[in-house]
This record gives sequence, C-alpha cells and structure tokens, in this order.
Amino acid sequence: MKPNASVDVASEPTKATTGMTPHSSKIKVSYNRKAESEFFVDNSALAGFTGERILYMAVRELIENALDSCESNHTLPYISLSLKLLDPVNDMWFVSCEDNGIGVPPDKVPVAVCSFLTSGKYVEKQQRGLFGVGLKMIAAFSTKDTDHPLKVWTKPQDEGSEHYFELRTDIGTNKPIILVRKVLKTNEQVIKAGSGFKVQAVLRARLSPITKNRIYDYISQSSIVNPYALLVFESDEGKVVFDRRTKMMPQPAKEVLPHPGDMDLKTLKKAILNFTNQKTTLLGVLCNSFQKLSAEKAKEIITRSGVEIKPADKYNEHELIKVVNICKQTKFQIPNTDHLSPIGEEILTAGMTSEYAIVINKQTHPAEHSQPQLSIKILKPSLTTYSSKICLINNRPTIVECGIAYGGDISSFRLYRFANKIPLLYDEGSDVAREVVSEVEINKMGISKKEVKEQFADPETKAVRAVELLPIHIFFHICSTKIPYKTAGKESIASEGDLKRYMKVCLADLYRKVSAQIRKELRIKEAESRLHLYKYYIPLIVNAISESIKVDPDRLSEAFTRVAERHVRGEINYPIAERQDKITGERIDGEIHETTEVEDKILISRMDRDNQHEEKNRKTERTNQNTNKKNTQRKVQTTLDILNVQKKTRRK
Amino acid sequence: MTATDKRHQEVVKKIKLIMRDVSKDIITEKTMPVLDVPKVGYDNTVWSDAKRMLTIGIKTVQVSPDSTKKIPTFAQYIVMASAIRRLLDEEMESTIRGMYYATLSTVGDEKNKQKFWNSQENSDDAIKAVELLTGIPREEFSVTSKPKGMVSGPIMLRVGGDLIDCNLGSKATSQLIPTNIRDVEIVNVKADFVMVVEKDTVLNNIRKSGFIQKYNAILLTGSGEPDRATRMMVKTLNEEWKKPVVIFADADPWGLGIALRYKIGSESLSYDSDRLVTPDAKVLGMLFSDIYEYNIPEVARLTASDEDINRANDMKKKPWLQDKQWQKELNLFLQRKEKCELDAFFKHGFKYLAETYLPQKLREANMI
Repeated sequence: MKPNASVDVASEPTKATTGMTPHSSKIKVSYNRKAESEFFVDNSALAGFTGERILYMAVRELIENALDSCESNHTLPYISLSLKLLDPVNDMWFVSCEDNGIGVPPDKVPVAVCSFLTSGKYVEKQQRGLFGVGLKMIAAFSTKDTDHPLKVWTKPQDEGSEHYFELRTDIGTNKPIILVRKVLKTNEQVIKAGSGFKVQAVLRARLSPITKNRIYDYISQSSIVNPYALLVFESDEGKVVFDRRTKMMPQPAKEVLPHPGDMDLKTLKKAILNFTNQKTTLLGVLCNSFQKLSAEKAKEIITRSGVEIKPADKYNEHELIKVVNICKQTKFQIPNTDHLSPIGEEILTAGMTSEYAIVINKQTHPAEHSQPQLSIKILKPSLTTYSSKICLINNRPTIVECGIAYGGDISSFRLYRFANKIPLLYDEGSDVAREVVSEVEINKMGISKKEVKEQFADPETKAVRAVELLPIHIFFHICSTKIPYKTAGKESIASEGDLKRYMKVCLADLYRKVSAQIRKELRIKEAESRLHLYKYYIPLIVNAISESIKVDPDRLSEAFTRVAERHVRGEINYPIAERQDKITGERIDGEIHETTEVEDKILISRMDRDNQHEEKNRKTERTNQNTNKKNTQRKVQTTLDILNVQKKTRRK
Repeated sequence: MTATDKRHQEVVKKIKLIMRDVSKDIITEKTMPVLDVPKVGYDNTVWSDAKRMLTIGIKTVQVSPDSTKKIPTFAQYIVMASAIRRLLDEEMESTIRGMYYATLSTVGDEKNKQKFWNSQENSDDAIKAVELLTGIPREEFSVTSKPKGMVSGPIMLRVGGDLIDCNLGSKATSQLIPTNIRDVEIVNVKADFVMVVEKDTVLNNIRKSGFIQKYNAILLTGSGEPDRATRMMVKTLNEEWKKPVVIFADADPWGLGIALRYKIGSESLSYDSDRLVTPDAKVLGMLFSDIYEYNIPEVARLTASDEDINRANDMKKKPWLQDKQWQKELNLFLQRKEKCELDAFFKHGFKYLAETYLPQKLREANMI
C-alpha cells in the first residue's frame, strides 16, 4: 500500500494571501500540494463522476469491484444491487451492493474504501478497475454531499467473522475517518455467502430518465458478458433477477512480468529497486523481471548497450537508458497472454443466446399511482457466432473478441461494446467498433445491400448502413491491460495501431460464418413478403382479367394462388428469358391474324359458352369431389383449352 | 362499321387475347405468365439507314409476377389494359392523367397499405406497356395527352363532324392541334409548304406579320417538345399531302434536338417512329453560323452551359449528324460556346425574323 503523503492544504493559501501587503502590486504565486482526494473531488470528471452520471458511475464501479472480487477467487458471482430514492426533495439516493467475493481484510477496509490511489489492483493483469478511484469517489461524494456515513460490511475468506464499518473521507487529507468499527455477532451478520463485501452509501444526485435507462442497460449488458453471475437488481420500480446461465467462468487473469518491448526507464528502475541490497547483476534483474527474456538475450542486450558490468543498483539513468533503447530495438517473442482473461466462446455464446434486458412496463391504471414495473425480457436469437484474435497493440497483447446474434427475438440492429468485460455505453459514435461496423461490407454475408434494403427497409428509420437494417446484435470485446480509451471517462476506444484491422478481420470472419443462415432467412423473408404481395395483387389482377374476358374469377384466383405458392416455394424454376410461351406483341398479332373477325367473335362467345359449361362442370366436380377424391385430377384438366377441344368434337 | 370502330375492336380484341393468354398460363399451364415488352430507351434505340430514322431494337423486358418488384408492375399492366378496354367499351376518351385517376386505388390491408401507383409516371409507363404489347399507339385507343401543338395556315381539318379552317383571317390566333387524332382528318391543304418552329411565341410573331398570306405557308409548332399529334400532322402533311417541310429551332443543342424529333424521331418513342417521323423535313435554322452571319448582338447571345457542351459533343458522334455541314456547325458551337434563341432576332426589330431572316433562309433552300 502506498503511504499517504500531504496534509495542511486548505489553510496554506489563506496564509499566503494575508502575508501579502495590500499595496503591493506584485503578484505572488504560491505553490501548494493537494491531497489526492481533493484533487479527484475537484476534478471528478476525470473519473467520470459528472453531474448526471454520478449514479451511473456509482453503480458501474460497485458492479465492477464486485465482479473482480469474485473472479479473483474463481467464485461464481452473486451480486445484489439496490438503487432507491431516499429523499426526493434533496435528491438523496440510497445505493448498496453486496457480493460473495473474497472480501477485504478488515485492517485494510478504511484505506481501501476512502483513500484515493490505494488499490490491490496495481499489477500487470487484466482487471475491470485499475485506478483505485471508483469506490473512493463514492465515499468522497457521500461525505461531500450528505451527512450519512458510508457503511461497509466485510467477511474475508478464511475468516468466519464479519466486520462492520461506518466511514467518511477526510477529503483534505485523503485519509479515512472511522466512525464505527466492530465485529458482528452471528445474528447481526448481513452477508449471506461464506465471504463477501457489502457497501451502502447515500449520494446526492439527479437521475434523468436517460441516465436511468443507461443504468439499466449497464446492468443488462453486464449480464451478457457475465452470464455466470447471478445478478439481483432492485430499484423503486421493482426487482429483477438475472439468472446464472452457465457455471463456466473465464480463466482468471494471472499476474505477469512486463514485456521487455514495453520497457522504459521507470519499469527498469522499479525492477532494479526490487533487488536492492541483493547484489544482483543487471543480467539477473533483466531475466527475473521481464518475460520472454532469456539469459542469452539479456547478455546480448547488455553487451550491445555497452554498459560496464557492475551491481544492478550502481547504474545511473544515463546508462540505463541505453539498455532501454537497445530493448526497444530488439525483437522479442510475442508477449504471453496469461494476464488477459477473455470471455471465451462458450461464455459469450451463453450470454448471447439468452440476452437479458430490463423492460419497464407502464401500468395503465391512471387512478392508482402509475408506477412502472420492471421485468426481464429474454431475447433468444436464431443464431450466434463467435470469433477472436490475439494482437499486439502498442506492444501490449490485446485480445479482440467478436460475436453476432441474429434473428429470433432480435428485431433490430445494435452494437455492444465491452472493454475488459465492462460495457461501454456512451460515445458510441466515436468508438472504433462503430468504424469497423461501417467499413466491413455486408456482402461478406453473401447478401447485397440492395437485398437487405428491399427486405428490411423501414420508412420510419433512416439507417444509412445496410447492416443497421438487419435484426442483428454485434458484440465487440477488447481485453488488454491498457485499453486505448479515447477519453478519461473510459467510454470509447480509439483506433490505435492495428486494432481496427484485427476487429475488421474478426467481424468479416463472423459475417462469413453467418452468411448461409442469413441468406436462408432472407429467402424466407423474401418469400413471405412475396406471399403478402400476391395476397394483395392477385385480386386486382383477377378482377381486371375477369371483367375483360369471361373466366371464373374464383377459379382463376385459386389457380393463381396455387401457382404463386408453388413459385414462392421454389417449385417453379425456370429462367424467364428461355420461356417459349412469353406473351409478346408478335404472338398477339399472329393470333389476331389467324382468325378473321367472325371467328374472333366466335372465340369470345365460345369463351362465354365455355364458361357456362365450365360452371356445370364445376358443379358436378364439386359433387364428385365429395364422393371421390381421385377426381381432383379431372378438375385440373378442366381448362379453357381442353374444353375448346371437347366442344369441337362434340359439335362434330 | 367505321375505320375507328374497327381499330377499337382490334385493340379490345388484343387486350382480351393478352388476358386469355395470362389466364391460360395460370390455369392450364400452371405457371407464371410472362409479358414480353419491348424495351424502350437509349440502349434499345437503333438508327436505321434505310428508314432514315431512329427505330426500336430487339431488346425486351420480361414482366412476370415472380418477384417483389415485378408483382406490382405486372398487376399495373393488367389493370391498365382492362381500364383501356373499359374506356373503349364505354366509347369515351381520356387523357393519360384521366387514366391515372381511373385506376387509382390502394393495395394491402390496414396494417400495410400502399398506393397502387406511386405517381402518374407509373401509370404512364403502364399505358406505354399496353401500347408496346398491342402494337397500337394510345391515341388509337382514345388515351391522349393535353394538346399543346398549334397550327395556322391554309389547311382545313375535320374534327369529329366539325370543319375547322386554320387559315384564320384575323392573324390573331392559331388552332390547337387536337390530340385525339383518330377523330381528326385533314380535309384540304392549300399551302405550298409547311414551316415548323420550336416555340409558340415565335409562331405568333411570324403569323402576326402576315407571313402565311405572303408565302402561302402553314405554320406549325409543338410548343417545345412536340407531342405525338403534332409530329403525326407534320408527317401526314409531308407524306400524304406532299408538302415540303422546313424546321426552325433555336441555335442551341436543345433546339437542334427538338428539330431532330420531327426529322429522325426520339429514343423514348422509337417504337412508334414509323408513324411520327418525317425524314424528308429540312432543318433550316437557326444555325450556329447564323448567329454571326446575321450579326446577333453579343447581348442577345447566351453562354453555353456544360450540359450544352456535353450534348453537342454527343451529337457530333451520332450517325445522323455526320453530314459535313452539321459537323461544321457543331464545331463552331463547341469553339465559340455561344447559343442563341430565335427570339434574339427581335433585337433587330420585331419584323426582322419574319420579313428578313426567314425569307432569306427559305430562298437559300429554294422554298420560295
């Protein structure tokens, strides 16, 4: 743990001011040190805690801490989160979160909760939180805006007892103020699991409907990438439970040594410092402090850098920088990815195949207090697919995971972005994933933009990209110890190095995987819309024909419908251009010249009579049909032409 | 039975034959009917050296109710054919806009309602398809457009039962050329030649000057893009009444295009060229060289647009404009990039066009 430094901050500026003579025109600048806590409270935007987003960030930090705590011990997470309005007049919110993780040792609780930049996570492995700021922000804001203490329960692993704390932060000094500290008796314990951690805070914040939906989205999306977690969420609008859909958990990230390609003066000095007074050589330090660095390789580096051989702690910065420079020029093996914990195909698939979403049901009883009720909707897509790539971004191994869920209960396009298993909800427009989706051509799915637009175009939505018309959810998960975030708020990822290229490769790969299925679905959809069109247009066509020539509209309509159905089923397969019996001008001309005017009259009146005959035929047919089903064959034969022939023979 | 009645019967019969074939395909053959409609447009227009006109090529479009796109089209064609038959049965006539309204309806159910026609353009296309399928122009089945062509001069028309003398003594008005051409008959033509001008404003000016009386001419205009009735009248006067035809249009690629509509036809009506085109017509003006020969002042000249230039470059390549004189004219235009309307002669005085320019041009061509 880092010791805490500065005190006496707030009073100093005043002293400096009073020390100035009132008539002096010289401006005197005073230099003061600020406590970390005060700095972060003053610059809360750095940690994402801005106005509207306070509650969102609080929920986010609590869930992330809880998940990290469970995963570090490979425990299937159980998280119970609650967000309730305590005092509507003063915008006081009550927020609490309980988990079944490893807990926090009681003696570390006050600093872990209240002192900024104190964290158990300052190691080289993938974790959700990294900065040691989140929970401290909640504590500081609670102290700043309310008179409620922050309540904490902790039940560390391997220690049956549960400890209770009431804490506040001394913002001026970055030190915890312990109001209550006690060991709870068995009947007083609140943590249900064998170990765990619970935080309860009161925060002053406004919650706009947009932010509220973001919180709901955040929880839903967390459950997509953590389908192995049991999540209970309770708000004033109701209680929802995200079931655990798999018992499989991702391989936990392991702490690894830094990669020499990523070495700088700071990491090298820190490594040397670890071996102080051990008389270790530089060679030893290099081999033991960095991965992928054999003794031979280390020797080579030292030789090439031209520094003399002496105990490691005897080198000065000028010498060390030479070593760093050589390392930057040297090619090493690709860093290992043990410190990363991707979601993995099975787990992401479990999340995608049952996407949980929070739905707000508006109650329609105006008389009663119309409180919306929360419920859970589970989206089951008709197919999902997964792809991943390992790549090096800024010398750091990065894993790109991509998934697609298509069709089924999914009705529209949506892009999901995750970084180290954290859902990213804001600033989608500037995220690299957005660019990737725009740039990967949809024809990789084996379908054209035109087809998609014909089948899915909705006049009400003005989606420009064809892919956004599809009922498809695209998931991107980037994991790395250093995600190239665009902003300090950690909400969008920049297109750094080859990241975009790898993401595009992943997405294109998935497009190819789903192409067969999507093409099939498109065909079904096209068939459906064609059937609809037939339903609408056949009556018009039949009507136009039957008022022009004497033909039984019912029969024509029936026959047309049957032909249409067969056509939609793909049973009539012929290239139109090769048809011999197309209705052309010449053919009509030919037919008209074959007959003289009188004959033509006969033709038309003959059609009349045929029709009458046909009527009779149909009547008999109907009776026949009732008695003998084999006669359907005959029904098919009763056509205009055959009747004509029959007529002629009969007349003879 | 009169000729028109017989013609009507033929249309009705052809429409019925189409309907019968469609029913036969569906009921007997149990297959999708296919209408094979000749393709209309630039890519199916062929220059015929023998006929000296644009004719339709052999490409066709298959319209069958077999795709989401073509089901509505097929229905539109059949519904339009039936509407035309009804029109003839009722012995009425209609404009193309009238046909649009007569067949207007909505398709689908409450949830998914769409218009049968997106616009009149669709219904015009359907009428065209019936023309192409029956091989009979729409005027013959009493579907016409609004008249816009005008005629003045010693020519007698019989429209229905009424006699119309277009040698209007007052010089103050012209006769609109009826578009229901099946009702129109030319009874008598006493003129020596026919002069076609591009615009009605120019025609009015010439008529007012007493040109008709002085030169014993018939004046005709299509008021811009000529309709079919106007083109047909020009052809009839030239080929049946053996009257020479001269054409004057503005000195720009657009005007030249309109002059050529009369002389060689157009891409959009290439299937009907035989009835519409007058290959013997002479395009006398206004030539690009006339701008300079007749000293049109610079203020009255217009700068050619990019579109004009492109059009002229296009025209230069056309087989029917390979004549040396036309190549020279087009080169002159492309070089000077200036165009001019016939009306520009008014800068020289209101009578200059009718009393100086036109007579001089006609004399050069040995017309007067």
